[in-house]
Amino acid sequence: MSARQPRFNQHVLIDTTPLPDDMPKVQEVGASSAPLMSASFFIGARCQPYNDDFMKCKTEANGRGEIDCMKEGRKVTRCAASVLTDINKHCLEEFRRHWECLENNNQQMWQCRRMEWPLNKCVFDNLKLEKVIPGTPQNEEQVHLRKRQIYANPWMAGFSKGS
Amino acid sequence: MGVPFEALLPYGIMLAMFGITGGGLSQLRHMQNGGKRSRHSVDQWDRRDKRLTGFLRGQTDRPTAPPGFELNNPWKCESRFY
Repeated sequence: MSARQPRFNQHVLIDTTPLPDDMPKVQEVGASSAPLMSASFFIGARCQPYNDDFMKCKTEANGRGEIDCMKEGRKVTRCAASVLTDINKHCLEEFRRHWECLENNNQQMWQCRRMEWPLNKCVFDNLKLEKVIPGTPQNEEQVHLRKRQIYANPWMAGFSKGS
Repeated sequence: MGVPFEALLPYGIMLAMFGITGGGLSQLRHMQNGGKRSRHSVDQWDRRDKRLTGFLRGQTDRPTAPPGFELNNPWKCESRFY
C-alpha cells in the first residue's frame, strides 16, 4: 500500500462486525511474539507449501491480496496453529524456557542458543521438524549450530556440549 | 594521621544521590516492563501482544486466540487536512 500509516489520529474505531457466515471460520493464532519467534523455523519447516502459496497469491493479486487470498490465508493460519499445538503437547518446558529467554533479550535469537539447542532436539525427536536456515551457503555451518556464538552476551556465549 | 573524611563527605553525598536516582530509574524501568529487561525496535507483531494479553510485554503460547481477538483490531481515524 502506498498510503502512509495513520499517525495524526485522536480517535480509534473498533469495528465489531464479524465476517459474513459464508466464509469458513478459522481461529487466529494465539501465540504472542516471543513464542512465535521461537517456533518460527518449525512453522516454516512444516508449513512451507502453504506459506509459499499464500505469498505467491498475494504477489500476483496486485493489491487485492487481502480479499482474494483468504483461502490460502486460512490454510496458513491453521497450519501454524497446528505446529504450536504439537509443540505445546510434546516440548512445553524447553519451549517456555526458550521464549522466556528471548523475551528477556529483545527477541534476539543469538542470545538464547543455549536454550534453543534442547528445544531443537526435542522437536526433532517428537515432531520430526528440523530447523534449517534458508540461504546458508553449502559449505558453511548453520549459525545456530555453531559451538561458539560470538555476538552473544558473555554469560550466554556458551559452548555447546556436542548436542 | 587519619583520612580527612569531612572533606570527602560532599562527594559521598553526590555519589549517594546519583546512586539513588539511577537505582530508582532502573527500578521504574523494570516495573514498567513487567519484570523483564527493556526492549527496543518494537514492531507490529509486538504491538499485537497488547491486543492478545492486555500488556505490551505479556506473552502467551496458546495456539488459538481468545474469542474476542479477531474483532479488537483498532482502526486509526484521521481527519483529512488537504
